[in-house]
Amino acid sequence: MQNCRIGVYVCNCGTNIAHIVDAEAVKEAVSKLPDVTIARSYRYMCSNPGQEMIVKDIQELGLNRVVVAACSPRMHERTFRNACKTGGINPYLCEMANIREQCSWVHVADKLAATEKALALTNAAINRVRYHEPLDPLTAEMCPTTLVLGGGIAGLTAALELAMAGHPVYLVEKSDHLGGNLARVDLTAPYLDSARDLLTERLVRLRQNPNISVMLNSQLKDLTGFVGNYSATVATHNGHELPQEKTLHVGNVIVATGYKEFDASRITHYGYGKLPDVITSFEFEEMLRAGRIQLKSGRPPQYVAIIHCVGSRSKEFHAYCSRVCCMTALKYAHEIKSALPDCYVSDVYIDMHAFGKGHEDFYKKSSEVKTLFLMYGKNERPVIRKAGPGDDCQMLIEVDEKLSGERIEIPADMVILMVGMEARPDAGEVARLVNISADKDGWFIESHPKLDPVATTTDGIYIAGTCVAPKDIPDTVAQARAAAGRILAKIAKGKIEIEGVFAEVNEDLCSGCRMCNELCPYSAIVFDEVKKRSHVIPAACKACGACVAACPSGAIKGRHFTDQQIYAQIEGVLA
Amino acid sequence: MSYEPKIVGFLCNWCSYTGADLAGTSRIQYPPNIRVIRVMCTARIDPTFVVDALAKGADGVLICGCHPGDCHYSEGNYKAMRRFPLLKRLLKSYGIEDERVRLEWVSASEGQRFADVVTDMTERVRGLGPSRVHATLLTDQRER
Repeated sequence: MQNCRIGVYVCNCGTNIAHIVDAEAVKEAVSKLPDVTIARSYRYMCSNPGQEMIVKDIQELGLNRVVVAACSPRMHERTFRNACKTGGINPYLCEMANIREQCSWVHVADKLAATEKALALTNAAINRVRYHEPLDPLTAEMCPTTLVLGGGIAGLTAALELAMAGHPVYLVEKSDHLGGNLARVDLTAPYLDSARDLLTERLVRLRQNPNISVMLNSQLKDLTGFVGNYSATVATHNGHELPQEKTLHVGNVIVATGYKEFDASRITHYGYGKLPDVITSFEFEEMLRAGRIQLKSGRPPQYVAIIHCVGSRSKEFHAYCSRVCCMTALKYAHEIKSALPDCYVSDVYIDMHAFGKGHEDFYKKSSEVKTLFLMYGKNERPVIRKAGPGDDCQMLIEVDEKLSGERIEIPADMVILMVGMEARPDAGEVARLVNISADKDGWFIESHPKLDPVATTTDGIYIAGTCVAPKDIPDTVAQARAAAGRILAKIAKGKIEIEGVFAEVNEDLCSGCRMCNELCPYSAIVFDEVKKRSHVIPAACKACGACVAACPSGAIKGRHFTDQQIYAQIEGVLA
Repeated sequence: MSYEPKIVGFLCNWCSYTGADLAGTSRIQYPPNIRVIRVMCTARIDPTFVVDALAKGADGVLICGCHPGDCHYSEGNYKAMRRFPLLKRLLKSYGIEDERVRLEWVSASEGQRFADVVTDMTERVRGLGPSRVHATLLTDQRER
């Protein structure tokens, strides 16, 4: 440890801190501690004058360590690290004591105890900063190739975006064709343009682009490495032969694996699978694509009922809204009315969610084509039963209609169940392979739901489309392009900068037991067969510290979270 | 003067430390006895940190991490969870009361839960009275 010259800055945060914590007393107390060259208390340390104070003290007093007792390091650690850098010392020679979020704001009633605690936390930071070491960021090459998982509209769009910018793309699709769920759809709401046309445009451009390698019948089997330098193993199935495995070197990955429709037979009393003309929305799309709306008997239906929210917005199945079904149902009313003008269409819904651009107009237009709208309660599902011999229809649907407050019975020959979206059954497996998280419903989790919706907590792994949550085509396309845009920005930079915080193995202490190799969630620790020692690949390490705590020889050092630093902190808080 | 327990908290950066910050921004009040040390992941917590804290005078140690399944590093919290019973067994063999050392899951959105856990822990440790570890060690040293 070099001769420490520590500057300690106690922020008042206006009155946020100083109203509860006696900042002056804290400053006075720490100024007497060994190695503390200067201690100051100031109104707003994060303000320009506050930061300049640090810069000036570093330069004039020769400080080589800085402690700022202020807000949470999650708030301003970067600010004060930058101030250190400007002052001319390594940014990691700075430590914060959280005396606002975890002190003044939560101990309003006890000023004395809050001050005592603030002093203990500042003391711990001073203790810790003595053991801080200068750390430098690493740089690594950025491989310009991207792996896109999923050949639906999201994957196609992202792949095209990257390829058009001149970068190689591997587009991996599990099935034997591209297009995903969109390939199963006839027209799209609300403008009634054909899904086939949307897809054809993408597919033609894709085939014309030499930068895209399409891999059908293929699945990701393994992914190792780190941002800029991933190694992906992809298995391709060809008929009855054993799957062929290929290793691809890629810089980034876009996960666009899409959704699966809700299994309608799970709601037993709708009779799906038992009553022949109770069908799902996707089965109806098939009819529309074939251009024949007909019952199992071959006759056209006289009465069609469309039931919304099948599997969505329900306590037993999925609590969320699937977002596209309401507009799709209105689209069906349109398509049925234009093919069979005499057919009666009823739309049985919970709430009409017409939230998107052009949707409200579309809803209005649908009301004009003589569709009967019936509203049912979330927990009072309509009941479908077979009609009697005297009825002119096949089935009768009973609805507790909310707007009229009456129990209404409507005739139906065909019932279309608007099945919602759900996460694919293999979503958990995909998440594990690329090291991202999925929420309780199986949707992949964004780095930040509002500010960073296509990145994940793993660098270089992006998510787009309906594998993140139910969404419509415009949102899916926007996300796919956003994900591609994020990657393009990184490729343009050429190199990636990696934080200087990672684990390192002291080879003199390492016994070669390899316990850490297995423990590392990022496969960042490799075993050198010649030296019989393990070592860390810094760029792959995320600095969680699992290996540091587990190493039986104490051979692994967690930079910036060393044992020494933590012991010093423990001593500091208890002093 | 009445006895005020000293509690050291080891919180993971991504869930629990953020949750503790949220308690602050939400102005949820809890006893001032806890002193938090931030680590990136509960998997970083070497059991000797806990022993060291007790030896240096802590009356209780609270470890908080992400809920199972939510770990930022996928499964660091499971590693902490598996180490924990071994640590507890060791502490028990030294006669350290069970309630002095606790492992809890607090997510980034659970400011209230963090405050509740700290309040509960503080009251329980207060009920146990001061830990004898630090004093015993001092006596041992003197006798040696």
